[in-house]
Amino acid sequence: MKKDLLLPLFASIALIFAVGWNYLSIPGVPDWSEEELRLIASLSLDSLPPLPLDPSNLVAEDPAAAEFGHRLYFDTRLSSNAQVACATCHKPELMFTDGLALAVGVGIGPMHTPSLVGLAYSPWFYWDGRKDSQWAQALAPLEAKHEQATDRVQLLRLISNDAVYRGMYEEVFGALSLPAMLPESGSPDGDAQQQASWNALEPETQTDISRFFANLGKAIAAFERKILPGRSRFDDYATAVVAGSDEDNTLNNSEKSGLKLFIGKGQCVTCHNGPLFTNHEFHNTGVLAVGRQMPSMGRYDGVRISQEDSFNCLGEFSDAAAEECTELRFARDANDLVGALKTPTLRNISVTAPYMHGGQMTDLAQVVNHYNKPPSSMLSHNEAKPLGLRTVEKIQLVDFLKTLSAPLAIEQKWLVAPDY
Amino acid sequence: MKILFALSLLLALGSASAADVRLPDLSGVTDKGFTIEIYSELSPLSINTMHSWHIRVLDRDDQILELEELNVFGGMPEHDHGLPTQPQVTRRLDNGDYLLEGVRFHMQGHWELQIEFQYAGVDDTAIIDFDLQ
Repeated sequence: MKKDLLLPLFASIALIFAVGWNYLSIPGVPDWSEEELRLIASLSLDSLPPLPLDPSNLVAEDPAAAEFGHRLYFDTRLSSNAQVACATCHKPELMFTDGLALAVGVGIGPMHTPSLVGLAYSPWFYWDGRKDSQWAQALAPLEAKHEQATDRVQLLRLISNDAVYRGMYEEVFGALSLPAMLPESGSPDGDAQQQASWNALEPETQTDISRFFANLGKAIAAFERKILPGRSRFDDYATAVVAGSDEDNTLNNSEKSGLKLFIGKGQCVTCHNGPLFTNHEFHNTGVLAVGRQMPSMGRYDGVRISQEDSFNCLGEFSDAAAEECTELRFARDANDLVGALKTPTLRNISVTAPYMHGGQMTDLAQVVNHYNKPPSSMLSHNEAKPLGLRTVEKIQLVDFLKTLSAPLAIEQKWLVAPDY
Repeated sequence: MKILFALSLLLALGSASAADVRLPDLSGVTDKGFTIEIYSELSPLSINTMHSWHIRVLDRDDQILELEELNVFGGMPEHDHGLPTQPQVTRRLDNGDYLLEGVRFHMQGHWELQIEFQYAGVDDTAIIDFDLQ
């Protein structure tokens, strides 16, 4: 062979090897080990326990409260411009997300809208866990300036003046009493005018109004508890293979290989564990800050906010006994929580783009690339380690993630606005 | 001194007398040679469930010690983070064990616990590490 042909020959072989290494899949269906089968079973909806009670919300299982909360959830009158409801950002047709990078209510919010699917299982709410119950979470957007921008006094006026709402409220919570002198608006967390109006009220009146406000959150939470995931193709596959069927074709070979990576080399299952594909906890994985924002302090701030929240489990508006508030009582406050944000569920992930706390990533391939080569964190340290996934493996992982979507396990009537 | 762990399952096998004996879920030896036994209300240990532990500290003659203070810390060295909660001893039980409330693990893998206590005015520590499925 002529010497001048050797270099092109070696270069061609190297190129073929490089392409093959990155794109050729190892043939054959995964052979599941006992440990892998245990992990697959742990991720299946078959392993999802009954929804735990919320001791801080006595009406959480009350059907009348859920009906009332469902109505509130879709009502845009619960906003300063009469155009924003809970459902504006948490859209049922998008698995209770909004398809936007950052939430848009009355204004633009600082964070991406998370899904509400299965969220009632979580002990913490918001990306930084600043709320410790679903009902306490539901209250914050009502008064937040960039979300619904109303306040508890305006809401008291609205509910008490609407015969349907007043009836629904009183059926669940008892008679609604109004103070003799009620300002137009008022909140301890509002602007200067709202705070001034609030501070002019008697302390007993303030407590009564805040209790009314908390009850709205409890009704909304009674509805939101019904938003549960449905069985996906992954769940059907898991049931089959755990039962010993090795001929199940519910997933194709690429999806099965992706599952193997998810519970193995990809290390996804480390945090995205359990049947909701989340440990409901907080991790710093080096995701860049949202544009034009300082990096989020994450759980480091969130735990303090939750401890000071007047609507937390230990507060006067909670229905729980103190000993039942185990998550709040034993919440950890430490420096390694700087920049740590909540692990989101991966259920329905293929229809809840964009991703991450600021919607910084538009597709799942970007997310997988991020974890394959995790960057240094802008604050504190990145817990994630490089994965060394080949190109074909990244494709398989994404293929598997797409098997986690399914219609919700909820009656259709809850997914649409009631007739007003 | 770092003492490696002993992760044990609750054994309810054998004779009637043996059935009354519960083995600890975790155990270790302190720097000063005392034994720490941990009996979990969630046994076998698993992730994502809040639960409590009963902690027993024994001297070299297997006598239960009365401590001045007892604290538990922990984390996953591989991931450089701590426990998801801050467990606390809330009271001493009638049998001399200490009740540790607020225990929860959120990830499978290798965990390392640091048990710190004070006995007779002297500080002592044990490191107990274990793999959680």
